Amino acid sequence: MKFGQTFKEALKTEGFPPDWVESAISYSQLKKCINRLTSELAQVGLDPQTLGSLLKKVEDYNKATENDDVESRPFEYLLNDDDSEEEPIDGNDNAANGTTASNGSSKKKRPFHPKLLFYVDEKTGDLHSAGLDEKTKRKLQMFAVQTGLSDIRVHEESPRESIASTDLPSPPINGHISKRRPGYRTVEVPLTSDSEFFSMLASELSGLERLQEREEKRMHDEIANLGMQVAKLTNPDRRANRKLIAVWRQIFQIYLESDIFFGTTESDHSEHDAAKAAERFQLFSQRIAEAGLVEKFKKPENLKALNTFMHINQEILQSLRFGEINQTAMNKILKKFDKQTALDVKATFPKQIAYPDFSTHLAKQVCRTISTDLICTIPQLDDYSCPMCMDLQWRPVRLRCNHVFCIRCLIVMQTNKQHLCPLCREKTVIDACSDNLDIELAAYLKKWFPDEVKAKQKYNELMAGVDEYGEVYKEKCSVM
Amino acid sequence: MALPKRIIKETERLMNEPVPGISAVPHEDNLRYFDVTIDGPSQSPYEGGLFKLELFLPDDYPMTPPKIRFLTKIYHPNIDRLGRICLDVLKSNWSPALQIRTILLSIQALLGAPNPDDPLANDVAQKWKEDQNAAIETARQWTQEHAKP
Repeated sequence: MKFGQTFKEALKTEGFPPDWVESAISYSQLKKCINRLTSELAQVGLDPQTLGSLLKKVEDYNKATENDDVESRPFEYLLNDDDSEEEPIDGNDNAANGTTASNGSSKKKRPFHPKLLFYVDEKTGDLHSAGLDEKTKRKLQMFAVQTGLSDIRVHEESPRESIASTDLPSPPINGHISKRRPGYRTVEVPLTSDSEFFSMLASELSGLERLQEREEKRMHDEIANLGMQVAKLTNPDRRANRKLIAVWRQIFQIYLESDIFFGTTESDHSEHDAAKAAERFQLFSQRIAEAGLVEKFKKPENLKALNTFMHINQEILQSLRFGEINQTAMNKILKKFDKQTALDVKATFPKQIAYPDFSTHLAKQVCRTISTDLICTIPQLDDYSCPMCMDLQWRPVRLRCNHVFCIRCLIVMQTNKQHLCPLCREKTVIDACSDNLDIELAAYLKKWFPDEVKAKQKYNELMAGVDEYGEVYKEKCSVM
Repeated sequence: MALPKRIIKETERLMNEPVPGISAVPHEDNLRYFDVTIDGPSQSPYEGGLFKLELFLPDDYPMTPPKIRFLTKIYHPNIDRLGRICLDVLKSNWSPALQIRTILLSIQALLGAPNPDDPLANDVAQKWKEDQNAAIETARQWTQEHAKP
């Protein structure tokens, strides 16, 4: 299937909201634009073969001499005079290009005014290029001569600036200094379809950017709302919520472990594409189902909140996918542009209209909001575990170096004469005493991890008994 | 004796999120004893080799470091004929906050950056200092001979 069709099909069937579909890259229209441009070029004798062979000749020449001399390019296709400080093209040209769309975007973007320039030797009329075959040369010479006569603008880049007629875009001479080549005349080929093509593309990209901003804001609000709701549902001050906290904590823990949108392990630490993210999301849903967590929700509010959470993730997935197919569409259309016109534009496509990172940016932002506004409403065990026993840091002892260990590990360290902090090697273990107990943190842990605190407390007491009476103490306990 | 929670957690993570180029699998009958393999780091004389090690967690782990030894013969200035490794974090610089995972990463790094100035009293370090290129060539040969996967 051709890409145009695949693209259309994907937009239609993958359940994107209508306003998204509207903002998508209009691939087929851009394609028509290219066709018009090709015929425009053909009218002045520049069919893709000619341009292509021109380019290829120069490339071969450069390769052979191992010198990558831009100066020897027979022609130049300037998309936007972005690196020179040229004045933006005046309003007249704008209207001629038939575009105001790119001006309408929130960011200031100059309208496109691509130029196709040839360099012709002033004296001989020879084309500035290396190793062209005679046929092509003649063709272009013919063209150069023709252009002098017909409507094609020829201007000499000399102070005289002879033919500065009204229809010239009259680029300020200064701006061109770097491009000027002594002894050569610049011939500009007038084209309109290319401006149309690039303005259309640019305005669509800024449209996509606006859509992204809108969606991002909407999703942020949605997540913030959900965060508040979950916080309310799991308020730890109500004893009845204890079980609920455990369930939500487990859901979020599985969520974090699933690494849906980004990998966080040594072997996988990159952003995931839509396909991989979808796969991991599937896995996440499966694990939630297997753990039987949904059944533990008695109140419908909790179930509703979980559904919203799942829905938000699906939306991120969808936006990832939407971004991907649009990016592919843009790459394909630029490739097509190059293939059909041989103007070699893809490499020089200016950064201002680079693809706006619709997908990854959105996913990143939204994922961050999920962790700050939602996951954080319920503390995770991993954030409060002792770096030595990897169990809950109960009772918490804060050393002078600010590192926290559980009291049991601290006792073990002190009896083993391990005087340095295991994390920073500062000599802080030895002088820790009851003053180092972190009362505030203890209260917090008791509030959020009541079951874990109870279990760890029991373990600590048991181990203290073992310290005093030896291993037998443990057996005595198990008998009882 | 029941296995401490820490060892269970470490093992789980080693299984679920293995470190690239490193594997550590506990014995079924003794969960404190691990079979370890480390891939020779690329651009080192050990590239292409697969090195087997044994790792044992003593009773007072993590107060004391794990005991680790190379089983595969290896030509390295900081590893002796019995496979014992000279690495500070395995001895004086051990910290209970270090883990199996981090220690194995250190050993992998040691393969990539031999340190002949702190040798484990062996002739290899001497050779390494006298004629580094020849020593590297020997290390490469040993890898071919003894560490083929």
